[in-house]
Parts: sequence; structure tokens; C-alpha cells
Amino acid sequence: MPATVGDFVVPGDVIADLNSLNGVTLTGPGLHSHEEHNCLLVTRAGTLCFKSPNIYWVEGLQKRYYPKKGDLVVGIVTKKAGNIMKVDIGSSELACLPLLAFEGATKKQKPDLQVGDVVYARLLSAHREMESELVCVDSYYKAGKLGPLSSDGFVMTINLNFVNRLLDFNCPLLHTLGKKYVFEVAIGMNGKVWINSHNVNDTLNLMIALLAAEQESIDNVTKVCRQLM
Amino acid sequence: MNVIDDNNLLMRKVNCKLDILSRPDGSVLLSQGDTVVIAGVYGPIEVKTQKMLINKASVETFYRPKSGTPGIGDRLYESIIQNICETSLVSALYPRSSIVVIIQEMQNYGGIISCAVNACCFALLNSGIDMKFLVASASCALDDKGVFHLDPDKLLSDKAKANFVFVFDNIAKRIIASHTSGSFNLAQYEEALELCKKACDAIFDFYKTKMKNEIANKV
Amino acid sequence: MAKQFKSLHPIKFYRDYLNQNVRPDGRLLSKFRPVIVNTGSIATADGSALVRIGKTTVICGIKAELAQPKAEKPKEGFLICNVDLPPLCSSKFRPGPPSDLAQVTTRFVADLILNSGCIHLRDLCILKEKLVWCLYADLICLDYDGCLIDACLLALLTALKTVKLPSVDYDVAIDKKVVNEDEKKSILIYNTPVSTTYAIFEDKIITDPTAEEEDLSSGLITIVVKEKELCSVHKPGGSPISEEKLYDCIQETIKRADLLNTLINTAISEQTH
Repeated sequence: MPATVGDFVVPGDVIADLNSLNGVTLTGPGLHSHEEHNCLLVTRAGTLCFKSPNIYWVEGLQKRYYPKKGDLVVGIVTKKAGNIMKVDIGSSELACLPLLAFEGATKKQKPDLQVGDVVYARLLSAHREMESELVCVDSYYKAGKLGPLSSDGFVMTINLNFVNRLLDFNCPLLHTLGKKYVFEVAIGMNGKVWINSHNVNDTLNLMIALLAAEQESIDNVTKVCRQLM
Repeated sequence: MNVIDDNNLLMRKVNCKLDILSRPDGSVLLSQGDTVVIAGVYGPIEVKTQKMLINKASVETFYRPKSGTPGIGDRLYESIIQNICETSLVSALYPRSSIVVIIQEMQNYGGIISCAVNACCFALLNSGIDMKFLVASASCALDDKGVFHLDPDKLLSDKAKANFVFVFDNIAKRIIASHTSGSFNLAQYEEALELCKKACDAIFDFYKTKMKNEIANKV
Repeated sequence: MAKQFKSLHPIKFYRDYLNQNVRPDGRLLSKFRPVIVNTGSIATADGSALVRIGKTTVICGIKAELAQPKAEKPKEGFLICNVDLPPLCSSKFRPGPPSDLAQVTTRFVADLILNSGCIHLRDLCILKEKLVWCLYADLICLDYDGCLIDACLLALLTALKTVKLPSVDYDVAIDKKVVNEDEKKSILIYNTPVSTTYAIFEDKIITDPTAEEEDLSSGLITIVVKEKELCSVHKPGGSPISEEKLYDCIQETIKRADLLNTLINTAISEQTH
């Protein structure tokens, strides 16, 4: 029995009668082409979603970060060799970040980064056969919000599904927290979050708030927010 | 979880708790009757250079007995579980990385292979690694009188003339693994297979309901 | 040209052959390799056999020793199997502790002997609680070319059938054992389990695969049969297959079992003559 949009699907289920635009159907995570024509094979458990006109994906659990081109991530420098740094972004292998990929960096003037420092970077390339590469500049060689993050801040790891919820425009959590505290936050698609505020106490409170919200469903987050106020 | 309304064709109660460990990417505590295992999955993670495969992920399985170090009997379970994982995972999506599955036996009161395979599938589902299909395992025993007992406990299977363990996929319910002990004839084998196949349907439903709840809470 | 094609695209190379219903070594899909059984190959052992299935060669030597039985099973002797895969038999194996395959095969063969009831451990008892025979069966693979379990089982069974144990007089009071080397007796073998291995390659089933075919295949099935009864249907994972195909394999194994049985018996009768 083929699954339809909105159903809960598990690996092995088949989706038939796809909507396509000019013969093209776009698939997101958890879906792969099936031997039969115009069919997709589900490879992850979750809810089948569809966006008009031709985009399908499965909304399910993801635990381990898998690098994707263009993702903004928070990483920790773990190795430094010559002009290249190795950065832990939580995926199966370390990503590389050239020291020249910072705004205004030249061979003589390189950013002063040490092992253990935190950076906010963008994935320039992420190919499963190759090491992923990070940059801290956009295509105009401007840093924008990217670059080294202050060591006064605090890095925590949260669930990947929670990252998506936090980044949702409708999510009230960060707005609500912002009314009470003054803080900076960098949320990486890899589940690492960097938080900084004026004093350690506030930072810890923010961290606790995020951890508490992680366990709650979307509706309850609003409730959590109210409690915090 | 009642499969068929006949006392000896009833499965023992299956219970599970997902995400019981914080470090692994997917973990589950699964109990079938008094048999309990914990399964944990890490992956895809960094791979040792020796084991690196350039076209797919290397799958490593470890079966830990309740006490002591793994013996040669555990190696047999390990190799069966590893083969099952390798076929059910879409390992081509994760080249140059490794997927590690650890099964820790907590209590063995019969049907440990079935329980381990089911726990392993649950943990993989929970970790969000891509799979081609789900797998479910059921066991049954044939006693001296020629009566079949589904999902036997240790007492029953020790006394039995033959024991059967089957693993099926959820697409066409084909046989992925079959492991037997004792002697039997072809007709009995066919009957055992049909019996376990029916029981596996219930396990597939169980996977689905559990994961649905889990995902509804998390996403 | 074929050689280059084979090393570059081993699977495609193989598939092209199978589409013509023939294998690279000239066999049809369901054709077995020739089997050679030789008994009494090791003169110093109490029982021995050498088996060749195609190129796969396994030698089995059984050494009997006197031992004290376990307290919980005072009337039972021991049969301890060990499968050894030395680096000599294939480049896959390295020196050092037994490989996973060796351990898994050892366990499978030992389980099978126990399950099939082909030998009763009680027959190995000399005096209850005091003295029993302990049979050490060492299986060494000399050349590894697939179907290891089949060869091991065949070698072990043939060797067991050739075992001759001397009679032992045991005086409990003074703990004195007298072994009469002149009075030798065979042990009883109640049935003969024999196995056949199949490999799954895409949607085809290949009988009696070579090592190369085993590596290319996506799963193995080993079926063990004793006197028209099934003893084990072992499919340790691998590609899923339908029941019909599995049942076909079982039928075929039953047919082949007779042949293998005759072979074992002929080999043994030739030795005695």
C-alpha cells in the first residue's frame, strides 16, 4: 500500500504517483529513488511532507550531523597545521578551514586562532567522498556574521531536530529570552550552539532554558517561555 | 502484544524504551518477556584507516554477553547481526565512515537472538541512519509432541526438539536470516516459518507505533 | 581482455556469465564441484579424513585422550572441535588469534554435531564420574575456495567414522589404567549430517560457490540434512530471498545428501580393505 502525504512512514515504504514539475521531483532527506518508475523509497522513519509543486521529504529524527553545502555551523578548532585548521563540526570527520578564508586575511596577516577556539563558519563544500571545507567569508570576501567566536561565550550541544525548531521563524523561544536577557547566540546547523552574555550567570540561565525547551514539544515551548518570564 | 489467540502461539510481552543512553546516536532498551538487551548505534563516525571502505560505510557490530568477555558463541550472534545490518542499511550513502552497533545482553531468558536483532533495528531507526527496509525477528520452538511454541522462553527452548529463529524484511516479508537448531522435517520448517512471519507483522506494527510516538514528541 | 574486465568490473563480469546460465569456471548454476574423500590420511591420529570440494581442502584429525568427566555430566565424554584457518589457505587470513570466520565456523560445526545427535557423548564414557574419552577434532583448512562449512562437516563426520578407540581397563581402587591397544573398537555414529552451501547473487541462487563467488555474492545459505531430515537451515543475514527459492535449495540438498553419504561409506570401506 503506497504511503500518502502526511502519513507516518518507515524505511521500506514506497511512495507512488509523485507530483512532478516538468518531469522533475525534488527529494529531501529520507527518500531515495525506487526501481519502479515514478516511485520513491522511504529510508527514514518520520512524517512524509510535501511542498507544492514537487518537493518531498521525510520529517524524522536525526542524531548525527551530516555536512551539507551552505550550512552555517559552529565548530571547535582541534588541530592547526600550516595554513589549515581542522575543525570539529560533529560529523564523521573533521572539516578543514584554511586560515586564509577569513576576511582580510593575507599570508602575512592571519587570524590568531588556537586549538580550542570556536568559529562560526559556512560549509563551502560537503561531498560524501571528500573532506568538507569551511569558510568564514561570503562570496564577496566579507565576513558578515561569520568568524571566530569570543571565548567568553559558552558552547553547548543540542538535538538536531531542536535546531530546526529554534530556527523556525515562528518559534517564540529566542524572542522571549531576548526580552529578559541581553545576549548573543550562534546556532549551528550541526547542533552546536554558542551563547554569550554580559555575565556568566545569565549565560548559564540561558543554557538551562534551552536545555529545558529541548525536551518540550512545540506547543509547550510557549509555556516554558512564560515560566521563564 | 497478542498475535494469535492460542496460548502457545502467543508472543511474550514486548516493551521498549528509546534514547536511554545519551552518548550513542541511537539507543534502545528492549525486553521480550524476561529477555532484555540494550542496543546502541554510533554513526556515521570516523573510521579506522584499516577498515575504511571507499564506496560504503563499514559496519561493525559488537555483541557483549552479560558477564565476561565475548566467546565464540557470541561471535556467531555478532556475525549474524552484522550481516543483517549490512543488508538493511543504505551504507553507500556514508562512504569512508563507520557505523558501530553495540548490543549488550542484560538478561537472557530465551530468544536472545530475536531480541538482539529487533533491538538493533530499533536503535538504527532511532539514530536516523538511512535504511532500505526494516527487519524483525521471531523465534519458535517445536516440542517432542510436534507442537509449536511461538517466542519460547529458556525452559521451553531447552526442552524443545528444534528451535527456529527467522528474520524478515518489511517489504515483501522475505527471509533475511534463518538459524535453527535440532532436527525437523521440511513441513515443520515451513510451518515454523509461517508462524514467525505472522509474529513479525506484529513487531513491524510495534516499531511503527513506537517510532510515531517518539517522533511526535521530538519534532 | 577478459582478465582486465574481470578485475575492473567483477560484478558485471560475473553477471554477464550468469545471464548465459553458466559460471566462469564452466559449471552450470546448480552444478556441484567434484568431491574427493580420503580416510586414514594421518597415521598418528585415532581417526582422520581429508576432504576436497573443488579446490577447497580440509583435513581432519581426531585424537582421543582420557579425561575426567565434568561433575554435572558424569556420564558424558567430550568432543571438542576446532577449525583452523592458517594463513597458508588463503591470503584473507593472517597469522595470530583465530579469525572471526574460524570462530564462527567452529561454533557452527560444534553446534551441529550436538544438535544432530550423530554421536552420543554417553558412548564415550568408560567409568561413570571417573574416566571418559575426550575427542579432540582438529580441522585444518589447507586450501580455501568456498564452502568451508560443507568441507569441514564432511571431513569431521568421515573422520569420526574412522575413529577406533582402544579398550581401557580401569581399576578405581588403585587408580590404575590399562590401555589395550590390540582391542580397538569403532564408536557409534547414529546419523550422518551433510551440508550444502548456496550463494545469492542478485536474484539467482548459485550452488556450491567458490571463494570468489562467495565474496561477490550478497548472502550465503547453508542447509544441513541428515537421513531425509533437516538439521539446520542457516542463513546468516545477507540479501532477502523468497520462501520458494529456499525450499528449492532444501529439496536439492536432500537429493545431494544421498550422494555424499555413499561417498563417505565408499571411502571408509576402501580403507578397511
